[in-house]
Amino acid sequence: MKAVGASIPRYDGVAHVTGASRFVDDFRLPGMLWAKALRSPVASARVLRLATARAEAMPGVHAVITHADVPKNVVGHQEVWGIAADEPLLAEDEVRYVGQLIAVVAAETEGQALAAVQAIEVDFEERPAFLDMRQAWAPDQPQVAPDGNVYFYYPDQPQRQIRKGDVAAAFARADVIVEGTYRPGAIEQAPAEPASALSVVEPDGRVTIYSTSQALYYSMEITSRHLRMATGRLKFVGGTVGGGFGGKLDTLTEPVTAVLALKSGRPVKWRWTREEEMLCSSTRAAWHIEIADALTRDGWILGRRTLTLHDAGAYMRTSAYACSKHTFHLAGAYSVPACAFNTFVVKTNHVPTAAMRGFGVTSASFAVETHMNRVAEVLGMSPWELRLKNANRVGDTSPSRVAYANPSTVSTLLAAAQAAGVDLPEAQRAMTNARREGALLPAHLVEQQREPVAHLLAWREGRPALEGGH
Amino acid sequence: MKFVVNGAQHTTVAGPLTTLLYVLREELGLVGAKAGCQHGSCGACTVLIDGEPRRSCLTVVATLEGAEVTTVEALGDRSHLSDVQVAFNEHYAAQCGFCTPGMLLAATALIKRKGGPVERDEVVEALGGHYCRCTGYVRILDAVVAASRGERLGAMAPSALEIRGVAP
Repeated sequence: MKAVGASIPRYDGVAHVTGASRFVDDFRLPGMLWAKALRSPVASARVLRLATARAEAMPGVHAVITHADVPKNVVGHQEVWGIAADEPLLAEDEVRYVGQLIAVVAAETEGQALAAVQAIEVDFEERPAFLDMRQAWAPDQPQVAPDGNVYFYYPDQPQRQIRKGDVAAAFARADVIVEGTYRPGAIEQAPAEPASALSVVEPDGRVTIYSTSQALYYSMEITSRHLRMATGRLKFVGGTVGGGFGGKLDTLTEPVTAVLALKSGRPVKWRWTREEEMLCSSTRAAWHIEIADALTRDGWILGRRTLTLHDAGAYMRTSAYACSKHTFHLAGAYSVPACAFNTFVVKTNHVPTAAMRGFGVTSASFAVETHMNRVAEVLGMSPWELRLKNANRVGDTSPSRVAYANPSTVSTLLAAAQAAGVDLPEAQRAMTNARREGALLPAHLVEQQREPVAHLLAWREGRPALEGGH
Repeated sequence: MKFVVNGAQHTTVAGPLTTLLYVLREELGLVGAKAGCQHGSCGACTVLIDGEPRRSCLTVVATLEGAEVTTVEALGDRSHLSDVQVAFNEHYAAQCGFCTPGMLLAATALIKRKGGPVERDEVVEALGGHYCRCTGYVRILDAVVAASRGERLGAMAPSALEIRGVAP
């Protein structure tokens, strides 16, 4: 444990300060071609015609690819977790968001590739776009995907849901009900280095891919699906990433350069412009979160109902996973004995949304903590006291009924108060995360501490419930 | 067009409106300057032209006749780091490293211009056009101020936990 908290030289520190670190765009290979892309200028349209013959005849052009060139065009970012494949690498007969990839050219210079992109002929029949996730159930809205605008976690259940305790009873006996709506917006990760990839077909037929991925094996798996090549025939080179922040979990450049390299027989590099990075790399999702808390007048949370809408954008990518995480975290760091949480993944004609720094959880934390302040204001009590009172203690259970063995809410709150120079009453300063008793164990929290605890995964797999949590 | 790059005479074969960034990276293989935005917003392509920090992505070679260009490759190597390079390393001012070459050159020019210690607000002014997504800038300011004073810690700067006294 000597390393924890200690100052240790970075393994790449000297390389960084001498400019010697090699990012993907810094590699040059003999015969290397440059890629440029034709992207959708509209949010929703049918593609009526796509003709590349003129572009293929342009000077310096070695390959132009469309969906027909991709061995397996439609792939899902989370097929391994059972989320159906829904996203084409290159658009087929429709486009669903501004910036969606339609065709890519590989030429000897970036200028020649750009000129050839402009020579690709494409005709669109524009359709109304669906952009406001709050209209997901309104009649006569444009449908983003053939299976509708709302993703279904199970055949008969669209939402990721959590049910715990008797929510109806909690709301029936509440002194006060406090409601709030919270809408964190979409955010671009904005790494300093735009997404880039460089693919080379080796003499033995294996493909080497220099990648800016922040999850190399994940990207390799998705690329192998698109190429229908075993992962053993792919070699990914990575490790020096010019900032990712979640945005470089997406695997959008690697399969494209690989298909171009296989078609042209030359190494192909594609580096996105800053405009592409801003326009059509995934963003953090926008969210619409409604919370209603059933409360006693003295600040105990008896129960919570939530409704969350998540803007997935045009394709699923990692949204189902993000919304599961989101739902598990909607109690925040507090003990909520009765929960009814409903989270919906809504598809829209926005750019697909994906990872960014704790995605799914940050939106829940923002909503819950803002709501806690609102509750304190309505009840006229200190927001510190409200939080400390309801903070998780040993033996309290999460919304998914995992018993906390050593929750850190109380110590975190006390440290935050100290850092912020807030002078808390002695009784609050003396609080710990010890098992509830006395005034901190009101009747409504007794029952949840007695409940047999089922680990969520154990329940899903039909194994016997685990006693005592983890 | 003839100009000097890191002390060596270079005659470019590129057209007069070609950017210096392109000539450095594609013609000379000097890839320290980065193509972060290619429209003058991020500062990752910054080099020194006659000692002044300039955006190489906006500088066309037609303007460079007789000029002297310095890139990160000339600041110092692994065995002979400059004060600014040492400070950036010791203060963890480089995280992903992509913006670092531009920052180093702008900081080097600032310290040379001032000829002595610089204040934090002067660093903010001089490096204000440089985008860093990772660090939050505090460590970069620490590094430039330390370098301007010729400070070498000879060790890594204390972590936040060490400063607060809760780590070894």
